[in-house]
Amino acid sequence: MASNSSLQRPPNTRIDTTPGAFPSSPAQGQSPTVVSSQLSLSQAVHERKAEYTRLKRIKVKVGTWNVASLSGTEKDIGGWFVDGKGVSESLSGLSLGGEEASDNKDNKADAVVESVGEQEARRSKKKPTVPENDPGLPPTGEEIGIYALGLQEIVDVSSVTEALRPYSDPHPTKKWKQSIADGLPPGYQRIAEQQLIGLYLVIYASSATAPTISSVSTTSVGTGLGGYMGNKGAVTARIVLGETTRMVFVNCHLTAGVEKGSLERRNWDASQILSRTKFDPVYDGGGVMEEFGEGIGDEDFCFWFGDLNYRLEDMPGEDVRRLLMLHTRNEYGKAQASKQKIEHELANPESSTFHRNLEAANQPSGDDSSSTHTAADSSSGQSVASSTTLSNQEAYDPNSDPTSLQTTLSSLLTHDQLHAQMRTRKAFHDGWREGSIDFLPTYKYDVGSVGMFDSSEKRRGPSWCDRILYRTRKDKFAYEEKVRQEELAKKRDNEMKLQGVVEAATDEAVLFDYDPENDGADDQYDGSTADPEVVVTKAGFEDRLHLEYYKSHQRVLSSDHKPLDAVFTLDYDAVDPDLKAKVHQEMARELDKAENEGRPVVTIVVDHHRESDTTHTDSGPKYEGVDFGHVKYDHLKTRNVTIANTGRVPATVGFIDRSVDTGQPRGVSPPWLSIHFDRPSDNNNPNPGALQEYTLQPGDAVNVELTLHITDMDMVRRLSEGEDSLEDVLVLRIHNGRDYFLPLRGKWLQSAFGRSIEKLVRIPEGGARKLQHQRPAGSNHSSHHHPDDKENDAVKWSAPRELFRLTEAIESFTERSMAEWEMKGEEGEAPWEKEAAWPFSGFVSEEKERGVLRERVREGLDTNQPFTELFVLESGSIQRLEAVAETLVQFLKSLEDGIITEELWAEVEKGMLEHEKVKKPLSDEDERMWILDTVSTAPAHGVSFTFITFMLSRVANEVVPIQQQLQRRGTATSFDDMEAVQKSKDDPARARRREVDEAYAAIFADAMIRLPTTLTGKARKNTDVRRKHVVEVFLRSRLGDGS
Amino acid sequence: MTSRVSTGTRPGARFAQFKLVLLGESAVGKSSLVLRFVKDQFDDYRESTIGAAFLTQTISLDDTTTVKFEIWDTAGQERYKSLAPMYYRNANCAVVVYDITQASSLDKAKAWVKELQRQANENIIIALAGNKADLVAEHPDKRAITTSDAEAYAREAGLLFSETSAKTAENVRELFTAIARKLPLEQAGARNMRSNPRQGVDLRPEAPGTQGGGACNC
Ligand SMILES: Nc1nc2c(ncn2[C@@H]2O[C@H](COP(=O)(O)OP(=O)(O)OP(=O)(O)O)[C@@H](O)[C@H]2O)c(=O)[nH]1
Ligand SMILES: [Mg+2]
Repeated sequence: MASNSSLQRPPNTRIDTTPGAFPSSPAQGQSPTVVSSQLSLSQAVHERKAEYTRLKRIKVKVGTWNVASLSGTEKDIGGWFVDGKGVSESLSGLSLGGEEASDNKDNKADAVVESVGEQEARRSKKKPTVPENDPGLPPTGEEIGIYALGLQEIVDVSSVTEALRPYSDPHPTKKWKQSIADGLPPGYQRIAEQQLIGLYLVIYASSATAPTISSVSTTSVGTGLGGYMGNKGAVTARIVLGETTRMVFVNCHLTAGVEKGSLERRNWDASQILSRTKFDPVYDGGGVMEEFGEGIGDEDFCFWFGDLNYRLEDMPGEDVRRLLMLHTRNEYGKAQASKQKIEHELANPESSTFHRNLEAANQPSGDDSSSTHTAADSSSGQSVASSTTLSNQEAYDPNSDPTSLQTTLSSLLTHDQLHAQMRTRKAFHDGWREGSIDFLPTYKYDVGSVGMFDSSEKRRGPSWCDRILYRTRKDKFAYEEKVRQEELAKKRDNEMKLQGVVEAATDEAVLFDYDPENDGADDQYDGSTADPEVVVTKAGFEDRLHLEYYKSHQRVLSSDHKPLDAVFTLDYDAVDPDLKAKVHQEMARELDKAENEGRPVVTIVVDHHRESDTTHTDSGPKYEGVDFGHVKYDHLKTRNVTIANTGRVPATVGFIDRSVDTGQPRGVSPPWLSIHFDRPSDNNNPNPGALQEYTLQPGDAVNVELTLHITDMDMVRRLSEGEDSLEDVLVLRIHNGRDYFLPLRGKWLQSAFGRSIEKLVRIPEGGARKLQHQRPAGSNHSSHHHPDDKENDAVKWSAPRELFRLTEAIESFTERSMAEWEMKGEEGEAPWEKEAAWPFSGFVSEEKERGVLRERVREGLDTNQPFTELFVLESGSIQRLEAVAETLVQFLKSLEDGIITEELWAEVEKGMLEHEKVKKPLSDEDERMWILDTVSTAPAHGVSFTFITFMLSRVANEVVPIQQQLQRRGTATSFDDMEAVQKSKDDPARARRREVDEAYAAIFADAMIRLPTTLTGKARKNTDVRRKHVVEVFLRSRLGDGS
Repeated sequence: MTSRVSTGTRPGARFAQFKLVLLGESAVGKSSLVLRFVKDQFDDYRESTIGAAFLTQTISLDDTTTVKFEIWDTAGQERYKSLAPMYYRNANCAVVVYDITQASSLDKAKAWVKELQRQANENIIIALAGNKADLVAEHPDKRAITTSDAEAYAREAGLLFSETSAKTAENVRELFTAIARKLPLEQAGARNMRSNPRQGVDLRPEAPGTQGGGACNC
């Protein structure tokens, strides 16, 4: 986890192509991948946010302007929006009402602001209309971090072709982009834009701020014709600032008109914009896209602006015009055209309202009694501090001056539809704020004039159509909480009423009697609080938003609407990407660690073994696996391994199938190894084939005994030939943990077992172990002859030396055993009396004891040491004899080719069949002759055969010593002798001898003579009889029994 | 290694296996003592143990008795303290280590002894090891805990006691051997490798006699 790529900030989803009238589709190729561990990681990272966030402050300027599709408007954009020009001090409601403001030439030292008259006179579509030498209302230019501009009617939306366009014509935005870019200081980047027919929203950020903006998503909602067309609606952008602060900018143009239906339609438009605006999911700090897209209301700060088109209601528009022009006329020098126009109109009073207001406007200051426009609602609350405030402002409160502009504005604002909607919770009531309005209605003016309200025939009533609202996350929640409380109160009220409770004069009664018309007055659409509240953002950071000013730019002449803007100061926690990456990395590492600590961990200890240190002298570093040391044929070796749970959670362990080369025996361990745990497996299944698993608690350990035992002759042969090795790797699996590899090794000791007669007669003087450091005989390195090869290949013995030694030992131990038996005067039957096949079968010694001795015998053979020296002292002759005799049989059986090989046997059997056919049985003598002849075609085999059969007859003679007398008399020819022979045939000893011969022959025929494996059934039985006969005839020979 | 491995079945040969746990403040030298005992090595710069380490060591007490220690070397750092019970659970013996040049380490050791006597096996054999004896051999003023004080405490609490040095190997093998001798070999019954899971002491013939002929551990 925690790859570096996940640390990378997502690319800003910038939409450079102009989207259509419908919400743009979610970003493609960015499927939401929410991984739980990543979530917990980002949570963990977030917990430490204080370490990687730094408090930042930027100023955000939001502007809106209905440009009425008039050309030339774009020339003014830089002047008012960026440079803050065109704000009229005298018409901002902050200056002294009724004061002659004309020709204030000496107010400013060197830069004299152009007069209204001059300004209007020089107006042209080619040049900006803003006053010259206007220093602008700060903050301006580079003091602003984010500029968000909403324009309406950049194309003529009243034209049917434009209104019905299914897509927006991007062409007009080009000139706007150019004009704004020209107006902005260098380095500002466009971070978002969205167009819907005539609506255009564009956001620029300073070079320092732009890189900290992410998750930009823009969209449009059309609410115009048919409820969907783009002639009305909104274009909206959502951005995330500093990875912490979600900001939404809504630029809307709602339905126009003064009639009742249009008001409701505006409210409907707004609700549609609210519900239908959907943004792409936000990338969280870890670069993970959140699962769901967001809408308006999910942000931390929303700015809603545009031509909302709300009007002044219940007031004749003409009265309002005239009343306001009483103020605006003061802007003009006497000779101005507009001035004359205004004066002309004002000279023709038309309504009583007008007269009353006119009087009020002309009242000398300080007359409280005639103040008709008291601060009835909060819209006349605190004023926004402005740098343009005149120095005497403190001494003079325009709100209490009935003739002041502010007093006039305040009285008009009580008729403002938007404020009424907010109060009555019909629109923009859920937490929206607006700065104090201390500027003239922004609509409708004669184009080219500062203060001439619509002089056309329509004489539209002036209205604050253009607005900038805003709402913080906190505002929204506060509203929702308030509604909840009210509902609760209402419910309680109803319940009490139902219960007939009539006491109402309690404190609670206030809560119960909710009247939206009146109680809504405390709804905060005036956001100009001096000390901004902490807003806890969706991402859990603490931000503060402060409205610096809210102004119209009265002296912009190019449209019939005046532009307006608001500047906000935003204090926010911004993520320092480098610091965050560091924290992220740390947390990822820590989580990894925790995860690993939660994983089962075991320690495997291979119990130290003395021998293993010396076996492999060649090995450099200490061997970490299980070393069996020297390994011999049929020699059990055990090693112990301890598996200890050194982790913190229970560990379930078990050996799993190891990987093997194709053709190799599969399974948990090689066939020569057995594994025993010192406890039953979890499932208590004794079947070694079943999966054996063992669960260890932390701090618990289990012993595993590994036992190596090699008995398979094929394996022995391969090991001796170097075709196989004692190397393997066991795999111990820890559930939910790692696999541990447990290497095994052993060093095979060369042995005479499992070899062919041809090889055995070439074994050097010191026994098979001398082959240890020679190249294995079977390996084909023919291209590279060892100098010793010739010597190694030389025949050294007429028959395997092992046979000399074994047969010799058997004969001598037989004698000794019998002597010992007699000497000890043991009671009961002697072994040879009990069992005809003894000492080759029917053993009297324990198998275990014999096993130890057999191992010694083999060692004696392979190292050419005298057997007696190797035998443990406690063993007696009978045990020794049995061990040696058994070893001989095993040795013969282990021979690769056999004493009588398959081929030799084929020859022998052929001869026997021929003789059978002739029906004239051969004498034993003759039979032995031709058998030996046949076998001796392979001389070593012939010699070996002779050795063994000779030894057998000697042993038989020893155990059934009947032949002694016979032989003594063997040369007799007298009748008596013949009689004796006859008699001896019925002799029980003689019969016993026959049993012995047959028993020996059965064992040795099987051990010496190899038959084709294909031979089965009756043929096999017949062959077995012949095979036994071949051996038996050699035993009989020594009887001297010629019959 | 001095343990003798006999071939075949030697009558009376016994093999016992014990769980031993090391406890004590961080850096007193627990891991170093184990390393000295098991591998006869010493590191001047050892990493602090994380979680727990596990090692085994087999020693011979006499011709017929072999004792295998399963050694759990715990982490002395405070943050691993809560893990300790997992390791001293079922332990037959414990070595509680302190550093004779650090006064606080004996307090810690005493706390461990108390915990063991309260929470561990009833018959647990506890040895107290005052480690880093080599340091005071050169600079006697470095000693923070006198031998007699520690000895008195050990006697009172019923502990085996010796001052050790993992660095010079002084008293290390002796300490473990003393523990082995104190372990209740006599009462322990023969252990069947396959049926009797690790309960306390287990004694069994050294060579696995059930295996058939020729078995030996050599
Ligand atoms: N001079 C000297 N230094 C020792 C001796 N034993 C251990 N140290 C040193 O003390 C330091 C800490 O030894 P450790 O064996 O890691 O200590 P520990 O008790 O296992 O510590 P934790 O694993 O943190 O519980 C190492 O630098 C060792 O080299 C000692 O007998 N003499
Ligand atoms: Mg340690």
